[in-house]
Amino acid sequence: MDASAHSSDLTPGASAPHQPYVLWRPTAKTGLMSWLTTVDHKRIGFLYGLFALFFFLVGGCEALLIRLQLAVPNNNVLSAHEYSAMFTMHGTTMIFLAVMPLGAAFFNFIMPLQIGARDVAFPRLNAFSLWTFVAGAIILNVGWFLPDGPPNATWVGYAPLTSRTFMPGHSVDFWVLGLQLLGAASIAAALNFIVTIINLRAPGMTMMRLPVFTWMTLITSFLIILSFPAITIALVELLMDRTFGTNFFEVSNGGMPILWQHLFWIFGHPEVYILILPAMGIVSEILPTFSRKPLFGYPIVVFSGASIGFLGFAVWSHHMFTTGMGTVATAAFALATMAIAVPTGVKIFNWIGTLWGGHLQMRTPMMFALGFIWMFMIGGFSGVMHSAAPADAQQQDSYFVVAHFHYVLIGGSIFALLAGIHYWFPLMFGRQVSEFWGKLSFWIIFVGFNVTFFPMHFLGLNGMPRRTFTYDSNMGWNTANLISTVGAFTLGVGIALYFAVVIYTYIKGKTVGRDPWDARTLEWSIPNPPPEYNFLVTPTIHARDAFWYEKHHQAEIAQEKTAHAQAESAHGGIHMPHQSIWPLIASLGALIGAFGAVYHNLPVALVGGVVLLAGIYLWSLEGVDGYHLHLDADGNPVEDPSAHH
Amino acid sequence: MRLTFLPTTIAHWARAAMAFGTVAISSGCNLNFWKMDGPQSTINVAGPVARSQLQVFYVTCWVTLAIFVIVASVLAYATLKFKARSEADAHAEPPAQSHGNPLIELGLIGASVFALVIIAVPTLKAIWFTYDVPAEEKANTYTVNATAYQWWFKFDYPSEQIAGVGPLTASNELVIPAGRPVRIDLRTMDVIHSFWIPKLAGKVDMIPNRGNAIWLEADAPGYFWGQCAEFCGDPHAIMRFRVIALGPQEFYDWVNRELAPARQVVPSASTAPFTTHTFKTDWMRNQYGYTGKYDADPLQSWREKQEPEPGENPALIAQGRRLFQSKTCITCHTIRGHEGTGAVAPDLTHVGSRTTIVAGLLENNTDQLRRWIHNPDSVKPGNKMYLGLGGMPGYLKKDDQGAWVPNITLTADDETALVAYLQSLK
Repeated sequence: MDASAHSSDLTPGASAPHQPYVLWRPTAKTGLMSWLTTVDHKRIGFLYGLFALFFFLVGGCEALLIRLQLAVPNNNVLSAHEYSAMFTMHGTTMIFLAVMPLGAAFFNFIMPLQIGARDVAFPRLNAFSLWTFVAGAIILNVGWFLPDGPPNATWVGYAPLTSRTFMPGHSVDFWVLGLQLLGAASIAAALNFIVTIINLRAPGMTMMRLPVFTWMTLITSFLIILSFPAITIALVELLMDRTFGTNFFEVSNGGMPILWQHLFWIFGHPEVYILILPAMGIVSEILPTFSRKPLFGYPIVVFSGASIGFLGFAVWSHHMFTTGMGTVATAAFALATMAIAVPTGVKIFNWIGTLWGGHLQMRTPMMFALGFIWMFMIGGFSGVMHSAAPADAQQQDSYFVVAHFHYVLIGGSIFALLAGIHYWFPLMFGRQVSEFWGKLSFWIIFVGFNVTFFPMHFLGLNGMPRRTFTYDSNMGWNTANLISTVGAFTLGVGIALYFAVVIYTYIKGKTVGRDPWDARTLEWSIPNPPPEYNFLVTPTIHARDAFWYEKHHQAEIAQEKTAHAQAESAHGGIHMPHQSIWPLIASLGALIGAFGAVYHNLPVALVGGVVLLAGIYLWSLEGVDGYHLHLDADGNPVEDPSAHH
Repeated sequence: MRLTFLPTTIAHWARAAMAFGTVAISSGCNLNFWKMDGPQSTINVAGPVARSQLQVFYVTCWVTLAIFVIVASVLAYATLKFKARSEADAHAEPPAQSHGNPLIELGLIGASVFALVIIAVPTLKAIWFTYDVPAEEKANTYTVNATAYQWWFKFDYPSEQIAGVGPLTASNELVIPAGRPVRIDLRTMDVIHSFWIPKLAGKVDMIPNRGNAIWLEADAPGYFWGQCAEFCGDPHAIMRFRVIALGPQEFYDWVNRELAPARQVVPSASTAPFTTHTFKTDWMRNQYGYTGKYDADPLQSWREKQEPEPGENPALIAQGRRLFQSKTCITCHTIRGHEGTGAVAPDLTHVGSRTTIVAGLLENNTDQLRRWIHNPDSVKPGNKMYLGLGGMPGYLKKDDQGAWVPNITLTADDETALVAYLQSLK
């Protein structure tokens, strides 16, 4: 960020530049205003994480209600309508409001630190992504407070069930607009990450020296910007059908409901990899650290991640094997789906290769990472079973599929994200989770998860369809469902314990210095707690595991840092971006506009649009300027040397 | 950490677990669920299409299981072998900082591709086999049209035409010839549904503006469960159907009975007086709706339902037939040969000879039929008979202010007569 030559104010500290009052720059470093106007990637990452965990718990409660209803046959805990609202919101919440933003939390917090950057490329756009995500999450959940309840057309929202004829209430409109806002937030964030990784790498951080987590951030971001436009189009068409009576999916006027499925899954399948690639990145960081040796076959792990990204766009119709695509299309998508198992398998081989010959430190993050490999392997194998289209004709929309994707999304994504929270907790908060309680929560989660979802394979093969609120007691499904419900509550206890432990640790946990795990990547080189400017001196990268290299070449690095510090000081010190209120205002405009659009209230929609545009306009008008910090070798402020000139 | 509290806690939990286990076992839990032999089993199949799909599943299952055993063994071995076992071990000098081995990587990629080829070959074969009836059997194929509605299935038999009416129509119970390929054209009148009879064939979706078809064959006469497999609205779980496969003669007899118009029950001099029947009335919402006799042998139950009910009361039946008109049931339902021309609801011409009602939810007997017509919404929430369809009022209608008000009301005597009438329609 040395584009500051044009900035109007270069004095040290955070004093506001001289600008018209409306373009006042907030400078609070503590309190509510500091959080609402923050552009610090670490604070934004923290907020993403906080919101994601809140919605993770909401989605978990929805899951427990679903399992309670299915515990015994002919049960009456939920009505048919409540049940379909519950699984619709469970799916939508977990995917868009829990797992994706939790991934985004790590992208924000960790990725810039891993590449030696002081922030993301567009700090205010980053804040806009966060607040637009929050606006989308609010819109999506408005349905809870409406008379007809939350949306109940499943998370895939197949046309024409979502048309005004079959779903006349407003909940589907809120669902559509909520997803649109979340999509906008995700695309903005993804572009930001891509530009950051391409442009803001520290000197010497070549692409093939990027930590694998950063690589997966990059690939995931590309998947987001390429796949979200497809669902954006589908949602616009659906909204046009519902609002203006167009006929994209309206059968009586020649619309094609099957079009929705194609558009949805062209987004939906890459979305699966958007959820799992960050998890693979986290695991690829944790395993080398706790094996005390580099990742086995780094280039192949990176390359297989990229091939998964490419192939992920060529397999969408395996979600549609039962739609009567014909033999050739079915065969083509079956083979493409099998092909994607190869790069996925390669990753598992390489993780095992990483363990081989290491000194494995069985700490809590390592337990979750190993649990991830086991569970993801099982989920991957049932995925291969689905790729065989004729077998899938029996498994599609049965509990076998429910078992499969929970093995991939909980056993895969969630296990890795939980591992990541434990792993980076000392970096974020300077405290370390107790090994006993961390491992206890791991084992309860591990057992509870398997007891919940393994019996579902049997249920599916025994013919139980998903998304059914009840079943009869003569179908042979009673025992497996009861076991599954017992497992779900065990899993719930495990998750509750996990978060109790995390909260306890945040308040009273053991304090540790920097780098408590003897880690390998650059984020661990900064002081604890991480300063706002991240790196006192921009590091120079000499090897793939940059921090490991630093630790083993201390004299050389110290010399280099002194030289860099002098050079940077001569350039005016550490450049920091100013905070800004406008991203929040713009997102607020989107939130207001969405309400207006749902209720066909033109004035409200216009107010929302004006606030959104004004926010963006003022945000560009206030400019990209920032301020400079001058710090000594210990990170203490010193007087601006340029002031003496 | 003090652990003195553990013994009592363990004893407490053990008692709770035992109590739970007792309840679970006594409430009909059996621990044989891994056998997967329920009526919708995809493992215990009864026809060539489902068998072909099962064989592909077994191939994928054994190949992935073999890979799993190998990879998991290596993973478990590596974890145990290289685990740091002591503080000294944990703080020992780092191991050799090796970066990988291209030859091992390429070898493993080659092995994965080989394993996938083993799966791909039978997959491709089965894709073509399950798609359409084999050429040599085309001439012997029996054709049926299935149409899905929210939330029931209609079956038309294009080869069984009724003069002046059109093809023979049945609802929610599909009767097919056993030992012959059956090709079913799949349509939907509203949203997407999916046609699934697990023991006979994997599912194919019923999509608006799209002509899909499925083929299947039952090896032998039998009684099979089917269910909609694509979420189609809140009552999706209650969109089930049955398939009855019959031998050639029995199928021929069934077709002839079905082709005939609805049965007339003529009042005779010895007719018993009008009596109010006592039904079981204390139904809970969503309560199980089958008798043990049906569960034990549903095909036998089906055969028995083809015969007139014992102890029929012709006066009562005649009263029911009048009510079927006066309560406007005829606007939506057809009873061919009697009154009624409605086409938006199931054809009830021979409803008395079916084993199930309410799209396969309840057994077709007097208690369950009365339970259904007494309070349809508690049996199948959201159903169109209760709320009306396409502007036609149902049990409820909307008044000028848009509020739901009662439209059809039935007294206990009305219900008795209607049940007797519908049961007489063999």
